[in-house]
Amino acid sequence: MAREDRDGAPNARRAPRDAPGAQPDGSGGARRRTGGWKAARNARRAVQIITFATFVYLLFGGLQRLEPLPFADIFFRFDPLAALATMLSARAWLPPFGLALVTVALTVLFGRFWCGWICPLGTLLGWLRFRSARRLSERVPAALRRVKYVVLGAVVLLAALANLTLLVLDPISLLTRTATTSAIPGLVYVVDALERAGMTWGPTAGVVTVVEERLRGSVLPMIQPRYEQAVALFLILLAVILLNVLADRFWCRYLCPLGALLGLIAKVQILRPLVGDACDRCGACARACRLDAIEIVTETGHGSPAGRPRPTAPVASVVTSECTMCLDCLVACPRPGAMSFGLTARPGPWAPYDPGRREVVVAAGIGLGAAVLLGTGVARAIKHPGLVRPPGAQDEGRFLSRCLRCSECMKVCPTSGLQPSLTESGLEGLWTPVLKPRLGYCDYACNACGQVCPSGAIPPLTVAAKRTRVIGVAVIDRDRCLPWAADTPCIVCQEMCPVPDKAIELGGQRLITRADGSEDYLARPTVVASRCIGCGICEHKCPVEGPAAIIVMPSDPDLAGGVPQG
Amino acid sequence: MAREPLTRAEFLKILAAGAGGIVFLRGSEDALAAITGVDDDLDQAALDGDGSRAAGLPYMTVVHGTPIETNVRTAIAKLGGMRRFVSSGDDVIVKPNICAARASKYAATTNPAVVATLVRLARGAGARRVRVMDNPISTNPASAYKASGIKAAVEKAGGSMHIMSATRYKAYDIPGGKLRRHPIYRDMLECDTLINVPIAKQHGSTGLTLAGKNLMGCTSDRGRMHNLGLSRTIAELNAKLRPDLTVIDAVRILVANGPTGGSLADVRRKDIVIASRDWVAADAYATRLFGRKPGFVPYIAASAAMGLGKTDLSGLNIKKYEV
Repeated sequence: MAREDRDGAPNARRAPRDAPGAQPDGSGGARRRTGGWKAARNARRAVQIITFATFVYLLFGGLQRLEPLPFADIFFRFDPLAALATMLSARAWLPPFGLALVTVALTVLFGRFWCGWICPLGTLLGWLRFRSARRLSERVPAALRRVKYVVLGAVVLLAALANLTLLVLDPISLLTRTATTSAIPGLVYVVDALERAGMTWGPTAGVVTVVEERLRGSVLPMIQPRYEQAVALFLILLAVILLNVLADRFWCRYLCPLGALLGLIAKVQILRPLVGDACDRCGACARACRLDAIEIVTETGHGSPAGRPRPTAPVASVVTSECTMCLDCLVACPRPGAMSFGLTARPGPWAPYDPGRREVVVAAGIGLGAAVLLGTGVARAIKHPGLVRPPGAQDEGRFLSRCLRCSECMKVCPTSGLQPSLTESGLEGLWTPVLKPRLGYCDYACNACGQVCPSGAIPPLTVAAKRTRVIGVAVIDRDRCLPWAADTPCIVCQEMCPVPDKAIELGGQRLITRADGSEDYLARPTVVASRCIGCGICEHKCPVEGPAAIIVMPSDPDLAGGVPQG
Repeated sequence: MAREPLTRAEFLKILAAGAGGIVFLRGSEDALAAITGVDDDLDQAALDGDGSRAAGLPYMTVVHGTPIETNVRTAIAKLGGMRRFVSSGDDVIVKPNICAARASKYAATTNPAVVATLVRLARGAGARRVRVMDNPISTNPASAYKASGIKAAVEKAGGSMHIMSATRYKAYDIPGGKLRRHPIYRDMLECDTLINVPIAKQHGSTGLTLAGKNLMGCTSDRGRMHNLGLSRTIAELNAKLRPDLTVIDAVRILVANGPTGGSLADVRRKDIVIASRDWVAADAYATRLFGRKPGFVPYIAASAAMGLGKTDLSGLNIKKYEV
């Protein structure tokens, strides 16, 4: 996107980057060699492309696959916010998140390199820029940068109270959830529509056939994924993108809790852009900075009027907690010796918008208030009839204290039966997975959700072990069931039941006489609760229109076979 | 296969395919023999038939015994050999029953050795490609293909597993008056040879599930068939699909809790394979394995009434073999 020209304003902090005059190359012996930094910047751009492509690849590596790629959740494992919050909430050391320590260590070295080089949401927001941002970002109060620390504080405090609800704001979680529920289903829909159209014309039909043979079941999912709330979830990401209208990477500057956490660590960043004596306060670096992370000190201090000013403090400084290590400033600096990249033990500067006591108090207030309000939710008193959790995740308290709301499980589910919850476990469980058997059942042959879960909220189980996990119990509605209510022969639930001894009994055929005098042999299904595992294939396949005549309800995990049925 | 009146374009395509086939045949016969390892007499017989053409080929072959591969080869050889059904350059689809993700010992899915032997024979007869596919009712195809053992066996035999995509179903006109227009997997109608390889199982809705019922795996809308009545609609679907060869796998049969089973207690070992071009007759014969008569399975009678095959086996040339 083109940038707005603001050459007219002498003190503008944001002038066009790479504008003529910004780099007086070839100015005699003072020629500055920026080639090295340009190469570094290109390296950063290349890394961003690679990590973003990797993220997308891994999204598909865990899409309706019975054997998902082993590292499909690798971005979460490197995510220190997810690690910190989940371990606090679970009150346990979770080994998969050990990789987050690598990110922390690298942040001590290089600051928020994650934001500038790795984070797929940050990369996306860096690519999607708006002309208006240059003009409008000046009007966004710098104090808004504190919001992200408040968000971080609330996430961490709530996590300490064993509640991960606010982790919906983790950037990796946000992006994965949106991709899962709207972007990928939309893409699949388009591909399938193109395939259908392409098949009607000879020359393209061959191409479609090749695409099908090669990609179906590996890249292309076996069925069209469908998710409730897809539009709403998409609009949330769209809003995050549209905030870029106000400022480049608005989310990263003002809102991102992961950015805030890394920013706090980056206060002790060891390797960073440094401003040296040669700086003449020209402001090129500040203009180049997309995050507006460079502060120019305006008073000149003492010095001879004829010579260079000799400031007592650095004339410009990089606020390490905001800097994403994009290196644009080093490329932009026109004076040799003015900027360098080096080692320092000095902590990064404390900016006026950095968090203070007030932010801590506000964050604590929000966290505690949320914990109290969520704790009074009705979901804790009454089990919602639709609260059917994935296999092995039946201990609701344990599950909620570990679930990142990342939706990896929903994406991998081969029947698209795992859906983001809205009311099933209250606001406390927002966007955690629940099984909606009418949409898709829990496949007897599948254990994929436990394999992709980054935090073990859904435990990894062998297929054999997963088959024994009771996730619910089926209940027949005799007022709707065809053989019971309408004397119409139907045994679909029984023939679909995957458990060896069949949890649905037909009890033999009986000759019945209908009201109109007609006779038929009829078998009426009943559920044997002690054998039912709640997979829901019966509910999914029930031929009755609308709600099924057999419905899976949550069961008490302590009772073998859930609840008894009359 | 179903044959509708040819359009000019289709006729030209057939001419082109025929010409291509002849070219392919001339150049590749030796190579194919080398690839498929056709060496002993039975293999050759399974491809070419056992020379009984003059005496009149049997209407149906029923072979008892193991190994399964020999059993299937015998059944096909005595029926006239695979070349009777597959020509060089053909696009062949083998349609087993892979309804669930279960090992073959549970008799919910067609025996992998039966499927793989047919794939091998079709390849040996010069098929351009042999694809094996089903649309599992109780699981996803990837799991079912793998768990049933069919994927490994088929790929070893030179065939490929095809995942049936929702994008490839197309509404076709169906003869018979009840389904009228119904979605069918287009490849099943566009291929050159369709081989139906069901496993014989008890089934709650139709008494037994055999060859006729197995082709319900070719449609994306089973619900409509249930609603319109299975017997007639199964007959109509088969009238449209017209499989070229039917091989019923009764190596193991499932006598209760079909079609998905799951308990070895419901499985009976029979070591029988039934092959015929007339699937109605094959189904009628297979009811005997369950101690039933053809009338026990309503869709068999409905199909015979449509003229799709014979249910009265008394006058038919049914040959039984032991291996």
